[in-house]
Amino acid sequence: MMKKRIAVVLMGIFAIAILAMGCGSGAKTQPVKSEPQVLNLFSWADNFSPEVLAAFEKKYNCKINYDVFANNEELLAKIQAGGSQYDLIQPSDYMVSTMIKLNLLEKLDKNKIPNRNNIVKNLQSPAYDPTGDYSVIYTWGMTGIVYNKKYVKETPTSWADLWNPAYKGRVILLNDNREVFGMALKKHGFSNNSIDKDQLDTAFADLKKLAPSVLAYDTDTIKQKFIAEEGWIGTMWSGDASFTYKDNKNIGFIIPKEGTVIWADTFAIPKGAKHKDLAEKFINFMYEPKISAQNYEYIGYNDPNEKAQAFHSKEFLSDPMLKVAVDDVKQGEWLKDIGSGLTLYDRYWTELKTIK
Amino acid sequence: MKNGKILVAPAMLWLSLFFAIPMFIVVAVSFASRTPYGQVIFNFTLANYQRFLEPLYIRIFIDTVFTAFVTTVITFAMGYPLAYCITKLPHKWQQPGLILVMIPFWINFLIRSYAWVIILRSQGLINTLLLNLGWISQPLALLYNDYAVMLGMVYALLPFMVLPIYVSIEQLDARLLEAASDLGAMPFTAFRKITFPLTLPGVAAGSILVFISALGMFVVPDVMGGAKSALIGNLIQNQFLSARDWPFGSALSIVLAILALVLIVLYYKAIQKQEGGGRNEEKLA
Repeated sequence: MMKKRIAVVLMGIFAIAILAMGCGSGAKTQPVKSEPQVLNLFSWADNFSPEVLAAFEKKYNCKINYDVFANNEELLAKIQAGGSQYDLIQPSDYMVSTMIKLNLLEKLDKNKIPNRNNIVKNLQSPAYDPTGDYSVIYTWGMTGIVYNKKYVKETPTSWADLWNPAYKGRVILLNDNREVFGMALKKHGFSNNSIDKDQLDTAFADLKKLAPSVLAYDTDTIKQKFIAEEGWIGTMWSGDASFTYKDNKNIGFIIPKEGTVIWADTFAIPKGAKHKDLAEKFINFMYEPKISAQNYEYIGYNDPNEKAQAFHSKEFLSDPMLKVAVDDVKQGEWLKDIGSGLTLYDRYWTELKTIK
Repeated sequence: MKNGKILVAPAMLWLSLFFAIPMFIVVAVSFASRTPYGQVIFNFTLANYQRFLEPLYIRIFIDTVFTAFVTTVITFAMGYPLAYCITKLPHKWQQPGLILVMIPFWINFLIRSYAWVIILRSQGLINTLLLNLGWISQPLALLYNDYAVMLGMVYALLPFMVLPIYVSIEQLDARLLEAASDLGAMPFTAFRKITFPLTLPGVAAGSILVFISALGMFVVPDVMGGAKSALIGNLIQNQFLSARDWPFGSALSIVLAILALVLIVLYYKAIQKQEGGGRNEEKLA
């Protein structure tokens, strides 16, 4: 009897150990390598309309193998470890330039992607890939101030409004050192790519004053925190603001006058991709006006496709959050890879988190 | 003998492939450095360990050890009485009692952390209830502070304390307590002089499990603490992701592993002493 009970206890400990280890490591399926008609796509979760993907599979008689990553660093690590198992990837803006510098991307055959000309002119040759040889913009947006009109009576106009003592304990910032420091640098009129120590020190001193007002730093579930009115004011991406607004109509979103981060996720093809031709067909397909309208209505991000505007619903075109980003696009500055400057950002970021 | 070696081979192969080699790689990377774009270059350097000695990182390390220590003390204060009560249950209730302690582990820990968020947030269960009862007029700030982190840690690690203590109380020779009672000891004296000292190995095992798990915890500070507190687990996670500084992250992991190793060695030393003492007592009896 006693032995049996001890066995139960041991099994319990064993089960706990396994569950504890299993935490956070989702199972990933391996892409199929040998079949010719498979497009191995490596992207963010929920980044496409399933119907659009099915339409592509049908049109080109192929199968799409859709794997997901959670952040750019995970993508980079996988591609460096041998990325040729993927045919198409979706790095964000600064990661495109890093990957170009590390020689991890194939040049795109522009002739095979005529539909890229449908993209709005000012997004065709962005700073992270000025010639557009390696990437095509897919989704884009801007970081702005999100606020709840129930608690924030005066419409914010400037990053300085986050420092308003009335919102103490109700400020939520993105859990991302480049975003947070970029915001504080912009507040003082500096570039959000600055690696000048004096400018960073100024931004850091200011952020230290903001730290006690911060309720939480959050990127993945910041939408839920604003829907549930945990936070009154904070920083958010325009696409997420649009999502949040759908569930809580008190939500407002503005682009501060000092300027902000503009970001994009792109299509790119990793070096040695086995189905480069199919990947280029896919990119071209995604910018067919009707297809792209259907796709962006589903994912809820700004559609960079000029020719698609006619096919969009009124609701989509008048979405206040998405519109803000379109109207203020000139206020945006792309984040660039700052190389060794990142070490100083990280050090200050760590120190910021130790402030109670 | 030969057959024995063959039987052990799969396990040895498994351990060397999936434990020893990755561990060796982490050690090697901890002496490497990072290029501006985050690639690892192997040029032997102690810079990562020197960087750990900066006051900023030492403070985070001390904060982490302190948090882990408080977690251990609280889980002990709650876990010992719980384990004791389970052993005092009628036989047929003991197994269900243990299973109740373990049931939460059937659900992934990340999901349970978010469940706590739903319970504790401004529009959560507790605040809504208190507001409706009219006991408070403003929602209480129950989440995103150090207390919430502590709550999450204790909640997550309590079973690690309860189970080893349960085993050691269960294994206690009941005749010793009968003898104490025969010799006139009151129940509390018998507990203080017999039960508690003889179950200390269980307490030590539970404490080690809780303390070491708490040292590496990064999910709770992120989800329930609002990612505001920098514990060493979060720092390591950051080095591997946003900072793209694998060498420094590896060095931090090694420091943490060495601390855990030292604690385990101390634990075995203490146990050996105890067992030695126990044997002497048996001889006297």
